Formats: sequence, C-alpha cells, structure tokens
Amino acid sequence: MMAREKGSGDEQVLNLGIDLGTSRSSVSASNGARHMIDSYVGWPVDMVARKVLKRDVMIGREALDNRLMLDLHRPLERGLIKEGSEKAIAAVRELLRHLLALAGVDDAREKGQKVRAVVGVPAEALRVNKQQLRSAMSGLVDSLMIVSEPFAVAYGLDALLHALIVDLGAGTTDFCVMKGRYPREEDQRTLTSAGDSVDQQLMQLVQARYPEANITHHMVAEWKEASSFVGDPPGRVTIEAPVQGKPTKFDITDEMRSACESLLPPVIETMIDLISRVEPEYQARMRGNVILSGGTALIKGLGVSLQEALQEVGGGKVRVVKDPVYVGSDGGLAIAIDAPESDWELLQA
Amino acid sequence: MASVTRVKQRLLREAVEENVFLVQGRRRPQPRGGLRLYRGLRATFFLVAPLALFSLTYVVGRAAAEKTVSADAPRGRPILLSRQPMTSAVTETAGTIVLASAPSFSAPEPFARGVLPLAVRRVVLDPGHGGESRGTASRDGLFEKELTLDIAQRLQELLLAANFEVAMTRTEDATLSLADRGEIANRTEGDIFVSIHVNWLENTDARGVETFYLGPTADPYLERLAATENGDGSLRLAELRDALERVYAGVRREESRALAEAVQRSLLVSLRTLDPGVRNRGVKTAPFGVLIRTQMPAILAEVGALSSEVDSELFRDPTYRQYLAEALFEGIQAYSRSLSDNSA
Repeated sequence: MMAREKGSGDEQVLNLGIDLGTSRSSVSASNGARHMIDSYVGWPVDMVARKVLKRDVMIGREALDNRLMLDLHRPLERGLIKEGSEKAIAAVRELLRHLLALAGVDDAREKGQKVRAVVGVPAEALRVNKQQLRSAMSGLVDSLMIVSEPFAVAYGLDALLHALIVDLGAGTTDFCVMKGRYPREEDQRTLTSAGDSVDQQLMQLVQARYPEANITHHMVAEWKEASSFVGDPPGRVTIEAPVQGKPTKFDITDEMRSACESLLPPVIETMIDLISRVEPEYQARMRGNVILSGGTALIKGLGVSLQEALQEVGGGKVRVVKDPVYVGSDGGLAIAIDAPESDWELLQA
Repeated sequence: MASVTRVKQRLLREAVEENVFLVQGRRRPQPRGGLRLYRGLRATFFLVAPLALFSLTYVVGRAAAEKTVSADAPRGRPILLSRQPMTSAVTETAGTIVLASAPSFSAPEPFARGVLPLAVRRVVLDPGHGGESRGTASRDGLFEKELTLDIAQRLQELLLAANFEVAMTRTEDATLSLADRGEIANRTEGDIFVSIHVNWLENTDARGVETFYLGPTADPYLERLAATENGDGSLRLAELRDALERVYAGVRREESRALAEAVQRSLLVSLRTLDPGVRNRGVKTAPFGVLIRTQMPAILAEVGALSSEVDSELFRDPTYRQYLAEALFEGIQAYSRSLSDNSA
C-alpha cells in the first residue's frame, strides 16, 4: 500500500474496489466492508410472484434460490454487460446498487462522504464496453476508474515487475504481463476458456454418460464448485440427480477431470506464448512469478499442473493467491486509495 | 520500498490517463509497432503502386465547389450546396436528407490532377453500425459495431499523429441512420469518407477483404450485402435512383475508385504478410446508402468476415485490430500522396 492502509481510508471519502464478475461480483470498501454476491438479478414474473416474494427485485443467491418465480438475468457475459439487452443494463445497475449498498454507500452518503470506485474489467475489454460500464455506473458513485482486472490483482499484490497474472474467472481467463508499466494491449490476453466453459463441458459429458439423469446448469456449477480438480483425483466424485423424479447417485469423477483439464491447453499455450514475448533475460524471472487468481483458480491441482507445464520451457513457479475471490476487488480498493485526489477530480462519473 | 512506490505512482498516472481518454471519447495512443517488420515491405510497395494507379482521372468536385451555404448549418435548416458542373439543392427534414431538385450537370471533362492543388486534409471515419444496429456477430459474441468503432478509433489516432484532421460519425455505441452519417460527413466538410465494416460470408471458411465505392452491381451477393448495410430504412427508393443517376456520371466516382484501390491494396499487402492465404475479394461497386449520402470521395471497406472462425479469433486480438487500422492508414496515406504527387 502506497499511502494508507486498506480499511483506514479518508474520512471524507468512501473508496471501493469492485470486481464485476460474470458469475460472482465482489466489493471491498475502505470502511472494512467486504462482500461477494452471485451475479444474478431477478424480477418477479407476475403479480402472484411479487406477492409471494414481497420484493420488486432479487439479487444474488436469493435470486438463484427463487428463480422459478423470477425473470432471472445473469447480466454479464465474458465479464462485460451483455450486449443489446436493455434488461441486462437494468440488471447491472441493480447489481451495482446492491453491491454499493452492502459496502455502506448509503451510510456514506448520509455522512456526506464522496464515493469513489475502481472497477475491474476483462483485460481485452473494448472501449465501447468500458463506456457502457461508465454509463451503467452513472449516478451511483461520484468518481469512477475502470482498469483491467488482472492489473488490479497485480497492483493489490504489489506484483508489478516480472510477474504474470492469470485471472481465471467464470466468463474469461485474463492474462497480464507486469513489466513495471501500465499494461498495454500486447501485455494482456483474454480467453473465453474459463469457469463457464468447464461447466458446459461437464454438462455435456455427464449427459452423454448418464442420459437418464435430469440435470441443470445450476446443478453442474455447484458440483464443479464442490469437487473440481485436475490431475489425480483426490477422491471419487459422486453426485445426486433425479431420474424420473427419483434421487439417484452417479459417479462423475472422470467427467469432472476431463472438463476441468479442458482448461489446461489454452491456458498453458497462452502463458508460454506471453512469457516467450518478454525480453529473454527476464523470462526466467517471469516464469518464477506466475500468479493465479479468480474463482476458477480454486480448481484443485491447477497450479501444480501449470507449474509442471512450465518445466518444458525451463521451469517456473505458479502460486494461487490466498484469497482468489476477493483479490481483484482488494486490488481495486488499493488503487482507489492510492490515486491522488487531483486525479479523481478528472474521473467524475 | 521506495522503488515500489515510484512504480505504483507511475502505474496510477497511466491508469488515470487512460480513463481520462475514455471519458473524453478518445483512444490513448499506443506505441506503433509490433509488426514493424512488414512496414518496409509495404513502404516499398507504396512507392511503386501510386504511379500505376492514377494515369487517367477526373477533377474532384469538391475542389471546384462553390459553397453558398455552409454545411455547418444547424440540423433541420435547409442546406444548399451548389457545385460546378453539378448542382442540387439538398434539404434535411427530420434527420433525412431529401434531394429537392433534379440534378443538372454536364458530363465531366477529364483532365490531369496537376491542374488543381488537391490534398486530403480532413478524413471522415464512419464506424459501421452502432447502438441498436449490431451488424454481424461471431459465434462467440463479437459484434461488428464494437470492432468497427475500435478499429476506427485506432485509425483516428494514426491519422491525427500524421497531421490529418479527423471527423468521426460516432465515438460511442450510438444508433445512427445512414442519413445521419452522410449528414455528419457533409457538414464536417471531409475530403474523403471511409466507412469501416466487417462482413459475414455464407461460406464460413471464406476469408478476405473487399472495398467498395458507389456504383451499380448485378451481383446478387452484393445486392444482398447492400440491402443488409442499407437496412435502416432511411433511404427512399426515389432518392436512391436520383442519387445513383447523379453520382454514376460524377467525377467523385473516379476519386472514390482510386481511394478504394489504394485502401484495398494496402489491406491486402498488410494482411498477406500475416497470412498469404487471405483472399483478394477485390474493389467493387455497390449501391451502399451511406456512400450515396456523402458528397466527397467515399468508400466502404469490409476488413474481414466474422463468419470465419479464424477471422473472429484474430479480431479478438487488439494487435490485429491495430494492424488493420495501420493498413487502412497506409491506404489513405497512399491515396493522399498520389494527390500531392499529381498536384506538384
């Protein structure tokens, strides 16, 4: 941290770091608040649902749990606002409002504090995507800075020089080579092979092997969350799914492994390609400082497998950050706190 | 610790700078390069190509134009432009430009470009589609409207750095009719108009680039493509017929052709250095509405095809989008140089 410790903050200002994720979004605030929610927003489908739910809108896990009564939206796709959908824009604003409320923005407003936010987006987000995000945030905060998500991670970890950040999210896997400068386009890469593609693969494999099982995407995502792995299985993966209404147990160990390992080739290829573009004298240091973040980095054995792949190009070290889910929003908060007052004046939302 | 602090300060400064550019609707200049290896090859090509390109041509209408009322007139007020040898009264009503009188002109006389000191100073860039009009889309969710804006903004930076003036028909994800685009181009008095698009081809393995200027076509594929690109309904049939009759014989067409050839060659030479298999789909004429509306040499470049998985993957890479912008820039520069050379 450059000027102040996280959580202390300026009393006149509430600083926020936000990781707006395809599957989950998190916020870290300078008042010490830290929250993570599922990136789902739902509106009651009709009057009856509204009466039962007693709410006009539901967000996060609550929305998922009541999805049968809701017009449910997952408004982010590949880490960006879903294109061409008015409902998605409205849903993103609801999501942001909810995150901000959790972080204590309403209290801050009452105290007359300014609210400043740093939001992370995929490394290769187009300018138009960032402009859409700016307009979705308009009026919700006083000042806004948008940065690439892996840069926020690198900043929060002080991994600014000779480091490769691999941020494995649900919608995208973002790579960022840190060379002691603000990452340029050639320093960053985005792949759509990420958590969602693993879910999709797992769904197909399970359906192919157990066509009688009645499964949904939400069930598959939960199984992956509980039991994902690459390499040697830590144990058998058994799940329960209904067959003609009757709960039935299935072994999906092989399917889980295949689905999770589908991530390895594109991630390894991109990782090695980016490292090979670094000046030769720094490549060994870069290989020795590969950092995995994001919810999908929690797949067991992923770091070890990537480290093994680096053996082919001279060896290296891959580490998974301690708190992969919050590391992006924590990094955003660090940026928000460190940015000088005069700079924030230029970035009014 | 002190050095980490210094690095952080520099990173923050750059992050803020990028955001300020975003707020201002501008692109932060990226250092040119990455593919410098090929630039020498292209430079050599462009020394030779213009000599062969423009042996016979006509005078640009703009140079002879006698402007009676500026195109800067506020929206909704009549805009009257009179040109020699062509005259036409143009009225703008509710965002649609209507040709108020029948065109009257005599056949243009060809003469050498050197007679008039011509130059390209202001370039109008038109990122295709936008807002509600997504254009084509790849299977994995890349949209033409986003790519065209991105490439246009990169091209804008390159042109500004080379001391051209640039007017953009849009700088954000906004819905613009063809009439709006033409109106902006004419009001800003651009010397040339470059509309950027990304194609969709029925054969999803096909790739390639093609550049259009205004003219008739009997090709059913081009008729379909023009119908798609003209799809905003702001162009009336009568207007199309009148405009085509006016333009086909116009001198502007020859300059449009020259610009299209320069851009197509540049795109092709550039892209073939990356992939020798890129197909030359050629310089073609087609009745694109956006080209009809403009009063300066105008082209529409289809810089790739989102129907192709290979192209989609390439478009996702910002280095490739920068590369396309540089190819378009080289084409515009080659055309501009050819005017200067002929004027000298």
